[in-house]
Amino acid sequence: MIVAELKPFDEIMAMLAGSRKVLVLGCGSCVTVCLSGGQKQAEELASLIRLRSQQTGMDITVDVDCITRQCDKEFFDNFKFDPRGYDAVVSLACGVGVGFMSREMPDLRILPGLNTTFYGANTAPGEWKEFCHGCGDCVLAWTGGICPIARCSKSLINGTCGGTNGGKCEVKPEMDCAWLLIYQRLRELGKLDEYRKIRPARDWRKDRGSGVRRLSRQELSQIDEEPRQ
Amino acid sequence: MNVGRGNLCYNSVALREINMAHSDLTSRDVASLANPAGLMENQYAPCRWACPVHADVRTYIQLVAEGRFAESVDVIRNRLAFACVCGRVCHHPCEKNCRRQDVDEAVAIRELKRFVAEKVGSSGCTVSRPETQNKARVAIVGSGPAGMSAALELARKGYRPTVFEKHHLAGGIPMTAIPKYRLPRDVLQMDVDWIVAHGVEVVTGAEIGKERTLPSLLKDGFAAVILATGLASSRMLPLPNINHPRVYPVLDFLRELAFDRQPAIGSDVLVVGGGNVAMDAARSAVRLGARRVRAVCLENEQEMPAWEWERTEALEEGVTFIHRRGPVEVVTDGGSIRALRTRGVKSVFDADKRFNPQYDDSDIQDLECDTVVFAIGQAPDFAFTHDSGLEMDSRGRLAFNPLTQQTSMPNIFACGEIVTPPGSVVEACASGVRVAAAVDMHLQTGSIRFNDALPEKIGTIPAVTAGKVLKFQRQAVDIAPANERVAGWSEVDHNLTEEAALGEARRCMGCGGGAEVMVDKCAACMTCVRVCPFGIPKVTDVARIDSALCQSCGICIAECPAGAIISRSLPVGDVQMRTRHAVELLPAGRKIVAYIGGFKASAADWVGQSESVEGVAKVYLASTTRLAVSDMLHALTLADGVVVVGCGQGLDRYPQSAGRTSLRVDHARRLLQSAGFNANAVQISLAAHEGLAGVNEAIRQAISQMSQP
Amino acid sequence: MTEPVSNLQSQLESGKFVVTGEIGPPKGVNVDKCLHEAEAYLKNSVAAVNVTDIQTAVMRTGSMAVSHLLVSKGIEPVYQMVTRDRNRLALQSDLLSAYVLGVRNVLALTGDHVAMGDHPAAKPVYDLDSVSLLAAITNLEAGRDMGLDTKGNPNQLDGAPRFFKGACVTPCAEEVEPQIIKLEKKIEAGAQFIQTQAVYDPAAFEKFMNRISHLKAPVLVGIVMLKTAGMAKYMNSSVPGVNVPDAIIKRMADAAKEDRQKVSIEICGELVAKMKHCCQGAHLMTLGWDHCVPEIVKAAGL
Repeated sequence: MIVAELKPFDEIMAMLAGSRKVLVLGCGSCVTVCLSGGQKQAEELASLIRLRSQQTGMDITVDVDCITRQCDKEFFDNFKFDPRGYDAVVSLACGVGVGFMSREMPDLRILPGLNTTFYGANTAPGEWKEFCHGCGDCVLAWTGGICPIARCSKSLINGTCGGTNGGKCEVKPEMDCAWLLIYQRLRELGKLDEYRKIRPARDWRKDRGSGVRRLSRQELSQIDEEPRQ
Repeated sequence: MNVGRGNLCYNSVALREINMAHSDLTSRDVASLANPAGLMENQYAPCRWACPVHADVRTYIQLVAEGRFAESVDVIRNRLAFACVCGRVCHHPCEKNCRRQDVDEAVAIRELKRFVAEKVGSSGCTVSRPETQNKARVAIVGSGPAGMSAALELARKGYRPTVFEKHHLAGGIPMTAIPKYRLPRDVLQMDVDWIVAHGVEVVTGAEIGKERTLPSLLKDGFAAVILATGLASSRMLPLPNINHPRVYPVLDFLRELAFDRQPAIGSDVLVVGGGNVAMDAARSAVRLGARRVRAVCLENEQEMPAWEWERTEALEEGVTFIHRRGPVEVVTDGGSIRALRTRGVKSVFDADKRFNPQYDDSDIQDLECDTVVFAIGQAPDFAFTHDSGLEMDSRGRLAFNPLTQQTSMPNIFACGEIVTPPGSVVEACASGVRVAAAVDMHLQTGSIRFNDALPEKIGTIPAVTAGKVLKFQRQAVDIAPANERVAGWSEVDHNLTEEAALGEARRCMGCGGGAEVMVDKCAACMTCVRVCPFGIPKVTDVARIDSALCQSCGICIAECPAGAIISRSLPVGDVQMRTRHAVELLPAGRKIVAYIGGFKASAADWVGQSESVEGVAKVYLASTTRLAVSDMLHALTLADGVVVVGCGQGLDRYPQSAGRTSLRVDHARRLLQSAGFNANAVQISLAAHEGLAGVNEAIRQAISQMSQP
Repeated sequence: MTEPVSNLQSQLESGKFVVTGEIGPPKGVNVDKCLHEAEAYLKNSVAAVNVTDIQTAVMRTGSMAVSHLLVSKGIEPVYQMVTRDRNRLALQSDLLSAYVLGVRNVLALTGDHVAMGDHPAAKPVYDLDSVSLLAAITNLEAGRDMGLDTKGNPNQLDGAPRFFKGACVTPCAEEVEPQIIKLEKKIEAGAQFIQTQAVYDPAAFEKFMNRISHLKAPVLVGIVMLKTAGMAKYMNSSVPGVNVPDAIIKRMADAAKEDRQKVSIEICGELVAKMKHCCQGAHLMTLGWDHCVPEIVKAAGL
């Protein structure tokens, strides 16, 4: 799922300069799961904004709401408060929600309360790690399920570089060297031949290389009304 | 008069509209309920389920735990008129079903009821008398638990009940037949006075069947009559010399004592019978100074119907037992009783477990004695119904429809032991409550239709969960030593002290009052699964929390990032609401909010009557496990600082309390710091177990830390 | 592929024990110093001089320009090329440019991550890695580039380069097998010579060389000159795959400040002497102390 973290508070307050009526809007999906943007976190942020408002005499009123997701517009029917009544909406959704709400409600000022960081999974209570880069060309079949694009700092595809230090990546000492993990996994699986194969240079078009990506499921397109016989 | 925070206000109409099958609660449902407590009406804890009047045990025990004694008694008296009497004599089927016994021992529910009902007395609890009582007049014959409970319910519904009691004192069997060492007179009076305060008229010294008869009552303007005379006569046997003055029917014997008269006895008393009433008679005889008191019964030790503790206490007081013998003749000698002739008993119950004693007439034994009390059972007395037109059945008992509680005459009803099998005080009360509803339906609509079905009972607690609940020893009741007891009529066991009562009430697991997930808000994030110390939530489609297992620690509720979990036993937003109220009461100047884990707090602490620290609003919680980070930040928008006083490691009622509280305070401080606020505005101290002085000192120290930058 | 394209190649092919040196371009346009180092000390002592490419992600003048300047001074460069900073278009273009400017030896490297250097906010590229870079070079040599023309066929070059292609390996890596497998891939992709990461343990190196005895490319063992004991300790803790034995650290630590260089030269010489029997050359990385190279060569008994 998408992992995101609360932006520095001063940055949020700077965005809110001049706003008197603020809505903090949580999202009930990924950001709830990683404890960054759910109902509770929206309440916490609202309290902090109120505190800052009290201490500096800014006179900001803050309301809190949370909808199931901010990336499907049907959920916008469930607002407790009409966002149009606010000078600013601090969205605690990931960047998708912020961008989508901005598109659907162009008259509103939707501000990002979070920095969206990565696609990750929960590896220990309270801990999420990056697992996928969204490169569009998954190679996990021949890397034993370990993604070299997301989990190797250099996104190499032919094996370890010289920077494996004690099994960790020398770029970030707390990170495992993904290629070492891949090597060990392939060895366990008896599939070291996959490591031996030369992987040609990647086609980055499936990643960001060819611009904004989209998925189209034509079977769900709108159907025109059929004329009655 | 209202009853506190609203725990008792539930909207039963909304409940019917919510499909409560298997926890599909949504946020819309919660918004439509005035109070989530209504959710507990769909599923009874075993204590409530087993209680004949289905008192809301969970709620009143929780109120005791919070020192809210008057409110607790109100909850009890909502269902049970005879709160004080039952606190002394109830056979507590609730305790037999209490799920705590699968952890360590059942909660001492009866002792807690006794503690709180007697502490509050009759004047301290709410009298919910309606402003207008102008519905029909109803006559009730007999002022025992059944009749008085019926009268109370009718008064609450706006009727004008009049209770006719043949003796000069009201109370029925509790007054005439339960010895004062078991039920002091002033305790019974608390219940009677409270009932009367609802507009119940009690006419004593008025025996129906004399100047007033059942037909005359109806003619006098009573729209209905309820017969509640109970088991008024003692069973006797047609034995030779049975009418000797020193042969007492047990109810006569006990009644003499009840009316402060000394029944004349010799020094060697023999009580015939093996039930509780026989024990009452034997133990009373000891106190009257008899040199020797023995009880002889048909049953052996295991078969004896008396409660085990009655038997044990009787033994301690010097009563001895003779088993498997039945009376044949009272043997006199020159005007005095010399012995009771008895025959052997081969068996008491037959193969169908029916009472069918088989005797051995070749085994005759005379038991020496000079006084005999027959306590072989009690029976109703129907004499007063003769010439009233009431039909009897083929066994000579009142013809009676148990579903509608009507006799053969539609306006004459019956309740209690006059028509039910012999039972306890609480069962009589249940019968009385039900007949009042029958009378009401009859008089208002002409038809009586009951749905006696109960909500489902919460299931047993599995060993794996029971093993994780922290054990606390049950409070033992202080019983006077036998030699002191027999010296007079003072009570055998003493009330729990307030501290003991609070400790005992806090052993209650609050079955059914725990967490519930609003399925439309749940993101299946696994947080509740990971933080529950008891391993209870399971995520299938969304998180599901088995209400039968939840221990109400509140950790998942506080940690859930979606705010998708509510507590059934607390109003939504309880902590923040109470914080607002508490802060409003503070004078101008620096304001601090102190959240205190109340596991070891006194009653005075909980109700805000103990010494406070200036400028500090104290909010007591069952445990700081219930306090969320968002609550702490919310408090800071109302006050200048927050102190969280939790219990020390391993000293709270819930596991992981100290650790979980510390993590949350750290997180709150981190949030404040990263937002440029003074992180020291939130302080923690794990001193809640140290008593008031320790807590107040911890608060003062915490406040002094707040000014550090 | 018959004629050697460079002196380095012909020397290695002749079976001689070959020594190479290394210079790093400056952070700035004053290239005189490093050129002077090369001319004064390396020209007559080593077969070729490596020119580092934005080493450890610290911005410097490019290795192509300095390689070209070496060529103009009659010194043979080994043009180091990392894949961190340029995509395949730029890499292929730079290879053609280097060739045109007289460069023949090229060492294809992945390159340290930007996080290690002085521009940590820069965007890392890594369009190719060392294996695919070697393949790209081989491809150019065959007169093709990596792109396709309008008919979908590989582009044909107007004039193909020919290089002597090198790769690197870390013999003392904690997990050696992945290094060896990757080395096999590099050779399969076209690597013709190997220069290793610094080795201070001759026994370990010999074991490594035995394990790759099936590979035919000549290996030049890497020697990094120690300047202080502290530097040795730093390499142990922070540079992966480099283990300086305690005995060597002690020698550096015990040396008086003015003797350090001498001791270091001795150490280097001894190491080369001990390892030369199992490899085909030594790559000396003197980190600016290039004036020591002749003495090291002498101390090694070469």
